[in-house]
This record gives sequence, structure tokens and C-alpha cells, in this order.
Amino acid sequence: MNLDALIAYVTSTPLVWIIVTISAYKIGILVYEKSGKNTLLQPIVIAYMIMLPILILTNIPYKQYFESVSIIHFILGPATVALALPLYKNLKLIRSYFVPIVATLFLGGTFTILSALGILWLFDASTTTMLSMTTKSVTAPITIITAQDIGAIPSLAMGFVVITGLLGALFSSFIFKILRIKHDAAKGFALGLISHAIGIARAVEISDKAAAFAALAMGLVGVVIAVLLPIIIGLL
Amino acid sequence: MLQGILTLLLFQFVGECCAKLFVLNIPGPIIGMVLLLLFLLFRKSSFNALDVTVSWLLRYLPLFIIPAASGIITQIDTISKEAVAILSSLIVGTFLALAFSAKLIDVLISRKEKTHES
Repeated sequence: MNLDALIAYVTSTPLVWIIVTISAYKIGILVYEKSGKNTLLQPIVIAYMIMLPILILTNIPYKQYFESVSIIHFILGPATVALALPLYKNLKLIRSYFVPIVATLFLGGTFTILSALGILWLFDASTTTMLSMTTKSVTAPITIITAQDIGAIPSLAMGFVVITGLLGALFSSFIFKILRIKHDAAKGFALGLISHAIGIARAVEISDKAAAFAALAMGLVGVVIAVLLPIIIGLL
Repeated sequence: MLQGILTLLLFQFVGECCAKLFVLNIPGPIIGMVLLLLFLLFRKSSFNALDVTVSWLLRYLPLFIIPAASGIITQIDTISKEAVAILSSLIVGTFLALAFSAKLIDVLISRKEKTHES
């Protein structure tokens, strides 16, 4: 027996962190399904609640953890390209309400960013925080990939994305009721626009139509913000 | 499925190359995504290998963001220092934005359906 060799292996192999990360997500899926797919218990939320204490308690430098699981992070690139397919499949919906969709995409998208930045500005927040807030309504992979290029902090931006997604899903029933939103297409589109994938999960509970419009909104706003934001920030 | 993986990697590669060559600020995978969308629109259909790969990738999408998302542990100082600003912005901003967007598109759809009826 060579205990030292075993310890040296376990503390240096990327396998350990890959297994821990995938397990955290798997537990997330199990909890989400056990809860009857409660929108607020998204697998990613559970995974966060498992991963963050582990990383803090083991005191591993984040850089070392990230290098260990870089193979998982790599898949984010092709997965972002893959978002073209659902967008392509939902794009035909755009014809049914072309003007409402395009107008809400641009006005709603601008409103989301400016209202969040306005409040941060009132509180005198730092530039990095403000930049990281600009992608809060964009789906996670696009956020992470775009954040770096606009001078934001990807992980901070990601935190804002997840919280925005949860808050939108949480507020939606109340908002739709007091504002008397009639159309499922409108409910779905607004949810996908503001709360990305978590909004889609919520829209699925409303109707198939709402879910399709939510997916369309998430795809469109992701592309538009990812393309326009670096250009606008580059000009400033 | 291999053909699907290859398609995605090729589009990502071409996207990254475009970003470098044309000095675009837009991330390579985003350009790859737009190019793939244009390719599908031009081709007027998807193909099985791509469908299979994409549905697999998107099913586990949240897993792939965990490595980058966990970096939040390096940001605890920023978050605790600006907690009030961040929480106000997220809570109030999200509420207003969802209300604004939902009402806007609902009114526009109603108006459109009314003009269709008359």
C-alpha cells in the first residue's frame, strides 16, 4: 500500500472535480424532479447550493478548480452555437405577430438594461457591477461568453442572470394578473425576454403557445444583445 | 451524432476566425450561432444528426455553465459591498421590465387582432 501516492493522485487529478461538478448537477436534476418541477428549484440553483460551500470549505483556489473542469467549460462554445437550432425552429412564429415581437424585443430589451443600470447608478455602484448587469436577461451561455468581451465579470454576470430568471418567474403570475395580460403569446414572450430559460420553464406551465414564444424571445434577445452590446460598449 | 458535433465545432471555429479576421468585438461562438442560423434558413431544414446533438447539448446546458458560474466565490467582496444596490436593481428592475414588456406586447397583439377583425 502506498497512501502517499494515493493522496498525491487524488489531490492532483482533474477527475475529482469533474465528478463533483457533474454530481452536483445530477443532484440538482433529481431535486427539481422530486419537487414536481418547482420553477424556483431549478437544477442550476441546487447545483450552486452544493458547489459553492464545497469550493469554500475545501479552500481550493478558484483558478485551480476552473482548470480541472475546463473540459466541461469548453462544451459551452459548441452549446452556444447549438442555440441556433431552437431559434430556427421558433422563428416562423415571428410571422404571426411581426410588429409586436420586433417592437417588444427592442423596447423591452432596452428597458430591461436601462432600468437595471439606472437603479445601480442611483446607488453609485461600480462600473464593473454595472457592466455585469447588462446581460442579466440573456441566457447563461451567451452571458458567460459575452461578459468577458465587454469588461464584465462572467461569474458575477451569471449570478445576476440566475437571480433575474428566478425573480421574473416569481413575479410573473402577479404581474400578468394586475395588468390583465390576455394573450398567452404575450405572457410567454415577456417571460423569455426577461427570464430566459427559467422564464421558459415557467411559460411551459402556462401553455404550449406561451412556451414557444418564450423560447423565441430568449433566442432573439440573446442574439441581439450579444451582437449589439459589445459594439455599443466599444463605441463608448 | 458525429456529424452534428462536427457541424457545431466547424461553425464555432469559423465564427472565432471571423471575429479575429474582421476585428469584431462579438464573441466567436455568437457569430458561429448566427452563421448556423443563416445556414439553416438557406437550407430550409435541419438534419437528424444535428437535431440529436443539439437536443443532447441543450438538455444539459446548465451543467456546462457551472465552472464559470462558480467563480462567484471570488466576487464575495464586491457583492457584500454593493449588496443593496445589486438587490434593488435586480428586484425592482426585473419587476418593472417584465411588467413593461408583457403589457407592451399584449397591447400590440390586441391592436393587431382588432385591425384584422374589422
